[in-house]
Amino acid sequence: MSVTAGPAEPKARLRVVIAEDTVLLREGLRRVLTDAGLDVAGTAADADQLLKLVQALSPDVVLTDIRMPPTQTTEGLQAALEIRRRWPGTAVIVVSQHVETEHLFELLAGDPRGIGYVLKERVADIAQFTAAIHRVAAGESVIDPQVVSRLVARPRRNSPLETLTERELAVLALMAEGRSNQAIALQLYMSPKTVETHVGNLFGKLGLLPAAQDHRRVLAVLTYLRR
Amino acid sequence: MNRALRAALAAGATAAVGCFVWSSWLPNSQYAPVEISFAVVGLSFMVAGIAAWQRWPASRLGLLFTIIGYLWNPAFSGCNASCPANVLLIGNGSRSAWNTLGTIAALVGLVITGIVLTLIVRHWRSARGWSRRAMIPLLWIAPAVGAENILTGSLFHFPALVTYALLPLLLLAGPVLFVISTVRARTAGGALGTAIVDLEPGASPGRLRDALARALGDSTLQLAFQQPGGAGHLDTLGQAVDRSVAPIAGSGGTVLVYDEGLELEPQLVKLTAAAASMALEHTRLQAEVQAQLEQVRASRARLVEAGDAERRRLERDLHDGAQQRLVTLSLALGMARDRAAGADPELEALIDSAGKEAREALTELRELARGIHPAVLTETGLTGAVQALVERSPVAATITAVPDERFPAAIEATAYFVVSEALANVAKHAMADGAQVTIRRRRPGRLVVEVSDDGAGGARPEGSGLRGLADRVASVGGVLRVDSPPGGGTRLEADIPCP
Repeated sequence: MSVTAGPAEPKARLRVVIAEDTVLLREGLRRVLTDAGLDVAGTAADADQLLKLVQALSPDVVLTDIRMPPTQTTEGLQAALEIRRRWPGTAVIVVSQHVETEHLFELLAGDPRGIGYVLKERVADIAQFTAAIHRVAAGESVIDPQVVSRLVARPRRNSPLETLTERELAVLALMAEGRSNQAIALQLYMSPKTVETHVGNLFGKLGLLPAAQDHRRVLAVLTYLRR
Repeated sequence: MNRALRAALAAGATAAVGCFVWSSWLPNSQYAPVEISFAVVGLSFMVAGIAAWQRWPASRLGLLFTIIGYLWNPAFSGCNASCPANVLLIGNGSRSAWNTLGTIAALVGLVITGIVLTLIVRHWRSARGWSRRAMIPLLWIAPAVGAENILTGSLFHFPALVTYALLPLLLLAGPVLFVISTVRARTAGGALGTAIVDLEPGASPGRLRDALARALGDSTLQLAFQQPGGAGHLDTLGQAVDRSVAPIAGSGGTVLVYDEGLELEPQLVKLTAAAASMALEHTRLQAEVQAQLEQVRASRARLVEAGDAERRRLERDLHDGAQQRLVTLSLALGMARDRAAGADPELEALIDSAGKEAREALTELRELARGIHPAVLTETGLTGAVQALVERSPVAATITAVPDERFPAAIEATAYFVVSEALANVAKHAMADGAQVTIRRRRPGRLVVEVSDDGAGGARPEGSGLRGLADRVASVGGVLRVDSPPGGGTRLEADIPCP
């Protein structure tokens, strides 16, 4: 990779802070992300350290494990919420062992823009993981596909979801993952126009307000799926 | 001594009866009906006297009754007419001797009657409660005996009709009243038994005392306890006891403190002490069983809590150990794959499949860890954990209500376990379209977990699954109710005490 010095260069490289208490994984992540062209500005082993780093370094993206010392429960999640409160412009990806959605909703309850919730094993797919970091940095929401597919596949009774076509369901799932219409069109090989039609139709079928079609639509869709 | 005397008197009475019967069967017996009635009166006095003696050994009443009986026996007092024999062997011809004898007998009778009356009154005054009430009939004997002496004594003379018809009736009243008195005493004794039987199990010594006091009619009755060092007894108020006491067997030095009036009724006091002993023993056993039950309950709760703690530890170990290592391994494989990309397609495919295996292992491990202990329960409480259960339920499940507050770990774990097992059962057995989960605080201090479905019903509470669930709920002091009519769905309700 050729690196040309210039004023635009630091802007192009995303500055990332990693919080992970397992040394091996922390160092592995640093290496992978550095190799992927990201600037790992610092790493932390617990939530306190993380908050100090964020204050000192003002990174673009924070990557944090949920469970960290000292209590090994939700320190990372609490730190993420605090970072969003104190530095709203900082994107945060929470890495979780849980497919359960409780933490996800805590995280999205504020402003879902620039929030990511991915399962830990996702880090192994380096390309996808790096893409997720870029997406949250660009203000999108990123919800792990496995978490979403569990919600979509839940058995339901007398639900309008049963009336959706397969295509509409696929669009719905991608919306729940935080994808934009543009991205959905790319992934499903459709024209953006078709995607818009599908979105309009399924919002009608589910009785969701068109007003939810802004940046909060991911939350609206997830809330619907979780009910 | 008393016993020997009683036996002798009883033998004498039998001999007198024998003598009387024998003499009245002699060919030329000329007993008048009045003499036969006198004999009956005398005999009944004898029998009543012996019985009274048996009942109140400390009282001379019984002995005196017996003596009166002897005086009335024609075989002893001789015949006024021409009976063939009498014990004193005084011939019929000796008129003056009979008259003297009659006067002496009347005088002796008067004296004895006086003593009897005094004794009865004294006895009555000292008696307490039912014992006193039972004696009331005896008081009627007093005028009867008085009348007898006045009517038959040689001091006064009444028409024969009065003397020979009225008198026996009047006198028979004595023994009859005595029998009534004894029956009443028996009834009072029965009341004691009833009082003990009615005493609910595990009643306090205070309640026992009240019941005994009521039954005995002695409001001063007390239970007292041996002072340490064996010097006397203290009552429940800590006062030293200076009254009559009766030890209660097997009660570790507890005694019954009773009114001295009851000393006339040693049988009854003994009976009461025995009853008290039984009741106290019952209370003691009850307390012992209760204490043991409490121990078992506490140890069961400790076992369950230890199990829960162990599960939490295991889950954490899995998370911090194997899961992290597998994530790190996946990451390394991902890096290796990226390096091999393009250069060696075969190697790339190999690493790819290794990475997939690692991810599969991670997913399985995550499910295993969740099954051991749901971390989301520790982290978010029932709200998040029940939501997670509903999300993964194979049967459409909805939440009606879950309180958004934290409870003690054992209670949260139990409530979670109930919902988890219930939803699993719905999926396995109920053939239901849907299930509903409701967790509510009911009244202060109760948490009610309810899972209902619209399935086939007919769940058996004694089945091993529900049995285990009931045990789990019981470990935190709760109860599990199962309502599952065939065809009517199943409703499971765990009612758990919680602060």
